[in-house]
Amino acid sequence: MIPILSFSEFIELILKVLIFPGLAFPLLFAMIVIWFERKFLARIMLRIGPLHVGPLNRTGLFQPIADFLKLIQKEIIVPDNAYKFLYNIAPIMASIVASMSVAFIPYAPKPDGGYWMIYYTPLSLLVILAIFTARPFIMVGAGWASNSKYCTIGALRAALQLLAYEVPITLSLASIVIMSGTFDLAKIVETQSSIWFIILQPIGFIVILIAMMAELSRRPFDIPLAEQEVVFGWPTEYTGTQFALVMVSEYFDLCAVTSLITVLFLGGWSGPVIPLLNDISPILSGVFWFFLKMAILTVIIIMGRGIYPRLRIDQLLDTGWTLLIPLAIIQIIITLLTAQWWLPLVRGA
Amino acid sequence: MSVEEKVIESVKTRFPEDIIEAKVKRKNRVSISVRSNRIYDIGLFLRDELGFNHITSVSGVDYIDMNELEVIYTIWSIDKKILASLRTKIPRDNPTLKSLINVWEGVLYHERETWEMFGIKFEGHPDLSSLLLPEEWDGPPPLRKDFLLPETPQEKLEEKIKRAGGW
Amino acid sequence: MSVMKLSMGPQHPITGHFRFILDVDGDLVLKLEPDIGYTHRGIEKLAEKRTYLQNLPVIERVNSYCDSAGTMLGYLEAIEELMGLEVPERAKYLRVIAAELNRIASHLYAACLFSVATGLETMLMWPINDRELVLDLLEKLTGQRITYTYQTIGGVRFDMPEGFKEEALKRLDYLEKRTEDYYKMLLWNHTFHMRTKKVGILKPSDAIKLGVVGPNLRASGVKVDVRKDEPYEVYDKFDFSIPTGKNGDSYDRLEVRFKEVEQSINILRQALKDIPKGPIKKWAPPIVPKGEAYTRVEAARGEFGYYIVADGTMKPYRLKMSPPSFRNLIALPHLCKNVPLGDIPVIYISLDLIPMDVDR
Repeated sequence: MIPILSFSEFIELILKVLIFPGLAFPLLFAMIVIWFERKFLARIMLRIGPLHVGPLNRTGLFQPIADFLKLIQKEIIVPDNAYKFLYNIAPIMASIVASMSVAFIPYAPKPDGGYWMIYYTPLSLLVILAIFTARPFIMVGAGWASNSKYCTIGALRAALQLLAYEVPITLSLASIVIMSGTFDLAKIVETQSSIWFIILQPIGFIVILIAMMAELSRRPFDIPLAEQEVVFGWPTEYTGTQFALVMVSEYFDLCAVTSLITVLFLGGWSGPVIPLLNDISPILSGVFWFFLKMAILTVIIIMGRGIYPRLRIDQLLDTGWTLLIPLAIIQIIITLLTAQWWLPLVRGA
Repeated sequence: MSVEEKVIESVKTRFPEDIIEAKVKRKNRVSISVRSNRIYDIGLFLRDELGFNHITSVSGVDYIDMNELEVIYTIWSIDKKILASLRTKIPRDNPTLKSLINVWEGVLYHERETWEMFGIKFEGHPDLSSLLLPEEWDGPPPLRKDFLLPETPQEKLEEKIKRAGGW
Repeated sequence: MSVMKLSMGPQHPITGHFRFILDVDGDLVLKLEPDIGYTHRGIEKLAEKRTYLQNLPVIERVNSYCDSAGTMLGYLEAIEELMGLEVPERAKYLRVIAAELNRIASHLYAACLFSVATGLETMLMWPINDRELVLDLLEKLTGQRITYTYQTIGGVRFDMPEGFKEEALKRLDYLEKRTEDYYKMLLWNHTFHMRTKKVGILKPSDAIKLGVVGPNLRASGVKVDVRKDEPYEVYDKFDFSIPTGKNGDSYDRLEVRFKEVEQSINILRQALKDIPKGPIKKWAPPIVPKGEAYTRVEAARGEFGYYIVADGTMKPYRLKMSPPSFRNLIALPHLCKNVPLGDIPVIYISLDLIPMDVDR
């Protein structure tokens, strides 16, 4: 059954799909974060970073756009003995899959009830988990299809890494679900209206932050991409537009991950209502708080690249299985044992 | 008697027949010139009895006038603080020498380089293949004196001056 | 079980002008075979065609971007030994100053590469910024940033410029303070420990047997330093210690280098304080008398040996160089047996091999 939309609903849907949180938002997020990452890391390393491109003097604000324009002008080189279909489709798949998860994340409540999200489903947490799990398979596929030794090693590392972080993520999500009693992300945010889950579940937050950094292949867990060891891991052979898609997909993923952690632990849009923004549109105040929390998480995740060396794959697996999983289980046990104290705080609200 | 002289003395008493010349060159330097067929035993003696354990270099010198190649093993003794050069001369036409890889493991690349640059065949060396030169190299060993580099302008000038009878 | 042949380099982010042929099984490297010679310039042959003085800039380029002052010292020592030339005292001090400054620059560069090998890019930028301070000093002293041809037969070419001493002392103070930051950022970083401790352990007995030299040998706990064993120039006048490591792993090899930087600062302070007045150069004849000499100097990467056979002309009959990286290279296949692929860059960089130095 196709629902019949009214005109205002149609306009709203177009807005959601094309601008926020749909197409434009992850792209803009990627652009800003790439610029910020380069500038921020440059400051950590006592460099200057991008300088000349863009409107404001000495900021290099449009450097990511310039890079992107450069990349799409380049020739797409497909290795002779690559498995061409999978090789060509993998970067597209990677960026699609990475950006898909933003469709299921509620960014703000609407004044007339309902939430500002593209597709509402009561099982949105499960859907997002499934989407995250799909990404390593694209990496493995691309690495295998490239038919290059470094790509293959990188792909195998990505697959191994999956073993290390997927279980802790699922386990710490379990304690969230126990606490909130729902798979619905919007409901999870609602239950945090009195107290954020980061305060009730600090261990779970740390576990999921570390595991998500591994999921994103950010340093210190950028083992599948380790430049010094496997050149660039699974996307080594990609050039031009395909490489741009691979790169952008990483930042789409970053967008999805920071959104998810914000929803799960930092109370989503909750925060004091800002009158100025509220006057323009009632959802803007919630979106502002959401962005602020996302930005803090992004800075924390990016900072890893400036201060940590890369781990070895066995050390990551070791960390995952002997540290993160027990911690996540401990969190579940604590959650269950302390139910009588948190239940009135969370469910009672 | 200094430590250097003691070293010379003990080598001379152990191998009276095989040492052609052994002398102290200066402080910390001894030079032991031996017959090529006994170099392995003398190497073992130097390592085990006299403590020359740290290989420094293996080099060749091409004495084209005497039709000889000289191989020089330079070994440092960490305890005695003496550098010994163990040298031997071999004919230029058939340059073979027993490899000292079993005496000092560190000569692996040094001997390989000497083989490549001088064409000295080290018997018993595990891998005498091209090390520094390109794989497709098929000229004579380049550090021998009969491998001539193209003449430089300076050398042309020097030749001219020589022919004209000096300055 | 299938073994894959993996060719690492010569175009690879970490190897430089090397090529390693690895036997890889999954993520485990069973065997490493170095393939060198990509920067072979035939300097030994070239030297036979050039006069002793003309050889100076060429020999310097054996190890040009890291340690040219320390490298060239041995060649000059050999020539001066053959000639029986006594270099003026002030020139000796100036040579030592240039060499020690270069050692600091070289070790900072090694630290940069090391942190890149573990993936920590911040520590690439910090020491390389500070290395620039040292190179500026060397530029003031010699007129060049990296290839100086400063020391020459019979002395040095230029005297210390005005105000150099104060500037140098100021920068050395800064560097000493800055080392603290490096310790915080790199050597006391837990993740860095995880990557480098117990990785590539070189036992002292193996190190001696293989003929490993320099900081790599000292990191294994063997106290060998040419500056102490047979002091050349004026090293016997300075009071400094030889830092050694305990375990001989990659971490120790880096730590020894940092401690050597501290010792070099120490030596430089003494040298700048004690430097006597006097001439800086003695005239040397272009012809070297017949004879042969083997000299060793402690360059930044370790002991650099020169063997010169002179036949009484202006040109050497044979010049043999025994560079430290070439001698340390043998440790690489020895250490890279059954190690994870991720450890290969760490072990390789910890040995501080410079392709130009290996190939000559």
